[in-house]
Amino acid sequence: MRANDAIAGLVLIVLSAVMIALTASFPEFPGQKYGPSLFPRILGAGLIVCGAVLMWNGLASRRAGAPWVEIAPWARQPRSLTSFLLVIALLLLYIFVAETVGFIPMALLFLGTLFLWLGVRPWIAAVTAFAGTLLIYWFFASLLRVPLPRGWLNSIL
Amino acid sequence: MDAFLAAVRLVFDPYVLWVITASAAFGMFVGAMPGLTATMATALLVPVTFFMEPVPALGAIVAATAMAIFAGDIPAALLRIPGTPASAAYTDESYAMSKKGQLDLNLGVNLVFSVMGGLIGVAILILCAPALAEVAINFSSFEYFWLALLGLTCAVFMTTDMPLKGVTSLLLGLAINCIGIDPAAGYPRFTFGGVELLQGISFIPAMIGMFALSELLRGMVSIDARGAMIAQQIGNIFTGVFDVFKRYWFNFLRGSTIGVLIGALPGAGADIAAWISFAVSKRFSKQPEKFGTGHVEGIVDATSANNSAVGAAWIPALVFGIPGDSITAIVIGVLYMKGMNPGPTVFLQNPQFIYAVFIIFILANLLMLPLGWAAIKGGKQLLRVPRNILLPVILIFCVVGSYAMTNSAYGIIIMLVMGLIGWLMEQHGFPIAPAILGLVLGEMLEQNFMTSMIKADGAFIMFFERPIAAALGVTTLLIWSAMLWRSVKGKPTSLSGVAPVP
Repeated sequence: MRANDAIAGLVLIVLSAVMIALTASFPEFPGQKYGPSLFPRILGAGLIVCGAVLMWNGLASRRAGAPWVEIAPWARQPRSLTSFLLVIALLLLYIFVAETVGFIPMALLFLGTLFLWLGVRPWIAAVTAFAGTLLIYWFFASLLRVPLPRGWLNSIL
Repeated sequence: MDAFLAAVRLVFDPYVLWVITASAAFGMFVGAMPGLTATMATALLVPVTFFMEPVPALGAIVAATAMAIFAGDIPAALLRIPGTPASAAYTDESYAMSKKGQLDLNLGVNLVFSVMGGLIGVAILILCAPALAEVAINFSSFEYFWLALLGLTCAVFMTTDMPLKGVTSLLLGLAINCIGIDPAAGYPRFTFGGVELLQGISFIPAMIGMFALSELLRGMVSIDARGAMIAQQIGNIFTGVFDVFKRYWFNFLRGSTIGVLIGALPGAGADIAAWISFAVSKRFSKQPEKFGTGHVEGIVDATSANNSAVGAAWIPALVFGIPGDSITAIVIGVLYMKGMNPGPTVFLQNPQFIYAVFIIFILANLLMLPLGWAAIKGGKQLLRVPRNILLPVILIFCVVGSYAMTNSAYGIIIMLVMGLIGWLMEQHGFPIAPAILGLVLGEMLEQNFMTSMIKADGAFIMFFERPIAAALGVTTLLIWSAMLWRSVKGKPTSLSGVAPVP
């Protein structure tokens, strides 16, 4: 997906305006002319200028016939679009449930799902998912002592 | 001298040597796999090096990146797909050579000139960095402010054909950097009451997101794309390389010099060095008509240049804390994590670490010869590793690596958000490198800017009162005006005008 520069510019302007508005609540220090709000305000002003020029250019190309939003070729193919969304969905799922479910079941699910979706043969997918999960768990949890969540397997590990 | 001996002892430790060799093999693999870049190799290594002492940690990164930049040449010759963006400039030329039956010579030239170019880069690093550090020791906040601004300016100037999008990307990176405790007054900004945002955007998960996740997302949607493997067997790759050297030694020196210069400039690294030196080679060649038909001349220039840029990029990183390319941007993050704040003081307080980096660089380039030979011999098997297994495994590695940086889901959230931002930016033609530099240099820029503003107290002339500050300031302003002037006139401004933006 590729939005027209005018849309990108508009988003930038809105975000920068919000950023500058937020700096209003920053404290001023007595006897000090320059406080924590100065730098973000300069950046915000710069971004608004950039956003405005982007909008100008975008509107010009729109008048020349460019569409508002262009759909990239891969996004028209259901297969690659699903791959893309699947990765995002799995990452979100991991962020929300890994703490309760634990790393090992989540990693198995994560790897298994992606392998099968990408057309790895089921038995290879199963073996690789197991081997990969255990290897990463061993490397990070045992060797590097990263406290990967244990979750459901808390009593076993 | 004591520091040098201490450095030798630090490096020639069995554990450190093992780490260097293992990272070198890892870098060779990642570099050779199309779609996995040298920067990504670094970003993936950082969670692992996080748990090491400074010397093995830096050794791992040096070795992996030096190998990865060379290894990108292998699939270029075999598949016509560059393994890293740094090989993209001469991929077609390499493949044309392979098709002419000069596969062995091409790989041999790539390997040997990569090693020699890499050594030139290291030599310049060793010669220049300590001398520059002596100058830099007297810098005040004014010099550092201009230096940071100049670095960011170069990043915009060098990496994009569209200065507007480069500047936007840079400002975006700087703005994201404002999240968290502000460096001058200690006031928490844009944290929305959250505790985790107080520490700011953790740098390493952000890098993993922008360089690894966004790359993986692109890989996932094009997983079926494959090149046609060249059928020819690989023989003795070193035959004829010496003749090439005798004929094109000047190209080698010129390529390495361009590589060093571009590597040392902030913001541009091995990939731009390769594009520019290839273009220079073609322009000044006695046989420009042969370019594109599988001619070795331009390859000599470009393959020397991208490897010499790797070492040179460490010069500004070590001396000023300003990254020469996106790899050293990560390195600076690692240095801060290890409590070795990059800057001239490291040269005084911990010279053994600096010498250790030099020694590791030399070792890594020498190690490239045998390891590169092995990678070339096993190249065809290496490139058959199925991507549908590789990508999910790297993805889960990114997740765990980001988690390990914060020991909480916060790291993974940052990775995901920054990955999506990076991906969206790429889709819309915004270069990522300036944003990353903004993220790395934001704090230094703001701190020195605020200090200078408070010192000057409204008298802006103080920004130009010290001679070096004045020179840096005027240079910066000149580059900005040149960019403005050219963009008003609508001409391409950047040196990378020779490079088609992918």
